[in-house]
Amino acid sequence: MRWGMVVDLTRCIRCYACVAACRIEHFLPIGMSWPRLVAMETGGDRPTVSTYSVRCNQCQNAPCVEVCPTGATYQREDGIVVIDQSKCVGCRYCVIACPYQNRTFLSRDKDKGFFPGSTQTDFEKAGKERYPHQIGTTEKCNFCVERIDAGLAKGLKPGIDRDATPACVNTCPAQALTFGDLDDPDSEISRLIKERGGFQLHPEYDTNPSVYFIDGKIGYSEVTETRGDSEHEPTPTGVK
Amino acid sequence: MEIHEWMINYTRQTEWIDRRGIFLWIAFYAGGLGGGLYLVSLYFNSLWGMFLSWLIIAVVKGGAHLIYLGKPLRFWRIIFRPNSSWLARGIIFVLAFTVFAAAQLALSFWLPGTAVEIFFKVLAGISALAIAVYTGFVLNTVKAVPFWNSTLLPLLFVLCGILGGFGLSVIIGLNGGNVNVAVAETGSRWLLIVNALLIVVYLWGASNREATGKKSVMEQIRGNLAPVFWVGIVVLGIVVPMAIALSSYFVAELSSTLLVTGVTCEIIGGLALRYCVLKAGAYKPLVAIAQQSPN
Repeated sequence: MRWGMVVDLTRCIRCYACVAACRIEHFLPIGMSWPRLVAMETGGDRPTVSTYSVRCNQCQNAPCVEVCPTGATYQREDGIVVIDQSKCVGCRYCVIACPYQNRTFLSRDKDKGFFPGSTQTDFEKAGKERYPHQIGTTEKCNFCVERIDAGLAKGLKPGIDRDATPACVNTCPAQALTFGDLDDPDSEISRLIKERGGFQLHPEYDTNPSVYFIDGKIGYSEVTETRGDSEHEPTPTGVK
Repeated sequence: MEIHEWMINYTRQTEWIDRRGIFLWIAFYAGGLGGGLYLVSLYFNSLWGMFLSWLIIAVVKGGAHLIYLGKPLRFWRIIFRPNSSWLARGIIFVLAFTVFAAAQLALSFWLPGTAVEIFFKVLAGISALAIAVYTGFVLNTVKAVPFWNSTLLPLLFVLCGILGGFGLSVIIGLNGGNVNVAVAETGSRWLLIVNALLIVVYLWGASNREATGKKSVMEQIRGNLAPVFWVGIVVLGIVVPMAIALSSYFVAELSSTLLVTGVTCEIIGGLALRYCVLKAGAYKPLVAIAQQSPN
């Protein structure tokens, strides 16, 4: 069993629902975001904005696991890379080693509260109790392991049953995110990768990510696609 | 929308140089300098040099590294996993050196010339060499940053540390320590030449290592890091000490002020070298198209 995710960029409507769902699920501090929606402004006569939903790739050959000096970052049997916050010393070697830059060090300035200088909201207070984040440690997406484990314990199937599926996948209104078992050739995720040419980011690092993307035009604007005009090949001019 | 330039642009690493990362930069340099000084002091059998290197490693290097950690009180967790990474091994080397060198210093003071003293000198010497070299391995094993992905980096760092060690030995010798200043100067001179060549070869190699490596090199030579590179590494770290060293061929005896100036410049050069290497380390963009972009 190896849990994985497919991000269908052709379906993504750039609504930020995945980011919001994760924030609520894990009570993320205001300066922290596990999944991120990356926006890229394209060039040409009619510039457009493309977005990519990225998160920890749960690499099979995870560089972050290799370098962690305390064993705080480790890989579960189901392929998910998790961090034991109580063991993390905050050396940030994993942040440096991740070629996808999907790890974030939680510094004090990232946890100023929703309303800095004011009393914490009830939501924040509840979050501190239910999902305590430790300042001085590193964090990243964990595919909502707590949901997966609780769901499996109830006999549910992650990717199919909502209670056992990551929050971002459940929330996505465009159904751009698919979760499932990469080792199961009959799973929806395996079918999508096979039939629609799912690909991993930077395979040359030999990290074997568990997050796949569908979209032959990653990095290309819709303008280019419709015109088929090489003159209007997008030039990333910045990010908004 | 939040800005994530790392997706489409080459982005440099920030965690190990910006903000609190400055402590790691100091720790990395202090490790090289302290290790180098200890090795040079062993050669000269300079007790003051050994003591100074112990202070540099145990206090400056160890202290700066601890301050950098997000959870410094948990540092003990690192030492039980030497097989995990070079960072863990490095901390173990620092602890080993602190213990071995302290024992050696005590033995050299009270029981000089004994077999036990020599035994601890060997142990501390091995630890010192390991401290000087490990930071290079910490960086060169990071595949995500092509600029660091060079086998030359550990060699460059250790030689830079020994160069600084020779420099500090000169100062110790000038202040009455048991150091042959002329020999230390000669060693410093030769290492200066070797270091300068290594820096050129390292940069040349990095510029041929993927587009991102070239980007890092250009950042140093022509980009925002150019002042630090040209003034810190080239002028202060190489040209000035070299000019002072060459002037010794024309003047019977160099003034101590000039020698101290040269050593200070060497140390600034070493710090600038570490700073540039850390600061210029960059990741390639996630989106493939950006690799072809002129940005």
